[in-house]
Amino acid sequence: MGVIEKVPAYIEKIPGGGIVTTSMDWVLNQSRASSIWYMLFGLACCAIEMMATGASRYDFDRFGMIFRASPRQADLMFVAGTVTHKMAKRVKILHEQMAEPRYVIAMGGCACNGGPFYYDCYSVLKGIDKVIPVDVYIPGCPPRPESLMEGCLRLQEKIKREKLSDWSSDRKNA
Amino acid sequence: MTKEDIIRKLQDKFGSDLEVVQNNQPEPFVYISKDKYREFCRHVKTDPELDFDFLFQLAGVHYPMPSAGSGSSDERFEVVLSLSSHAKIHRMVAKVKLDIIDPEIETISDIWAAANWYERESMELFGIKFLHHPDPRPLLLVEDWEFGYPMRKGWTGPDFIPMPEK
Repeated sequence: MGVIEKVPAYIEKIPGGGIVTTSMDWVLNQSRASSIWYMLFGLACCAIEMMATGASRYDFDRFGMIFRASPRQADLMFVAGTVTHKMAKRVKILHEQMAEPRYVIAMGGCACNGGPFYYDCYSVLKGIDKVIPVDVYIPGCPPRPESLMEGCLRLQEKIKREKLSDWSSDRKNA
Repeated sequence: MTKEDIIRKLQDKFGSDLEVVQNNQPEPFVYISKDKYREFCRHVKTDPELDFDFLFQLAGVHYPMPSAGSGSSDERFEVVLSLSSHAKIHRMVAKVKLDIIDPEIETISDIWAAANWYERESMELFGIKFLHHPDPRPLLLVEDWEFGYPMRKGWTGPDFIPMPEK
């Protein structure tokens, strides 16, 4: 146990190469955090910023994040944009179709708590965390691409802190 | 055609059922009475000089109390049509007044096909009935909405947070 506490990975040189001793948690978390495939779920104006962040100037692909259009093939769902009551049911269904481990980032003011539509609005759901569990909230209207990337890096840090026992079948992740 | 020409032509045909609103807009605003509504719509669409072939807005309005500046001081609902013409390049706004209790009017979705969805929206948000509408399903709200008609003034619902007074 002393080896694991000292360094995340312990490299020992032996003749003919080396041996890396590490922990399963660390390897799995590193690999999961370095290749988060996100589902394109742009609903409104924040979708434009998400697309801009995925484009060439602020690139998502250098973090290993590729967009997949289907929830079955994605680990992360960016809820980008205003969610109405009518759409909230569909968001819940799509979230349940994603395979675990899955994460949700609430992007923009509308997904965090209703945003500019908090007062005097009959149709907007005040925050997507009323229907699905959210990992990272990114405020802004819309958030700059740099903010969005900072949110993804925070999510990567959150993933790296996880343990294998978090995703076992006994513990339901909401 | 200019604003005055359109108004004159409509007044020749409809006489006392038409009421013109005096304002500074470049397009004519007219009130038409409820029983001449369909005839009016058919006339402005098919007449070769008026030729209003494009309905680009049909909206409901709720006036719950005497309001100044609208030509009448009764409580009522209104349906406002915004019409324009592609060939002649002129526009018009036509309005019709409905009762405050059980507002209903005939549909014009067979005259302009665009009215279909606009009337579904007004049916759902205001409660205005459009008679003989071919498809009176709700359009915009959640399928199991049961909290009334949200666009009426003074509506509140379970998730509605009004703007706090300053």
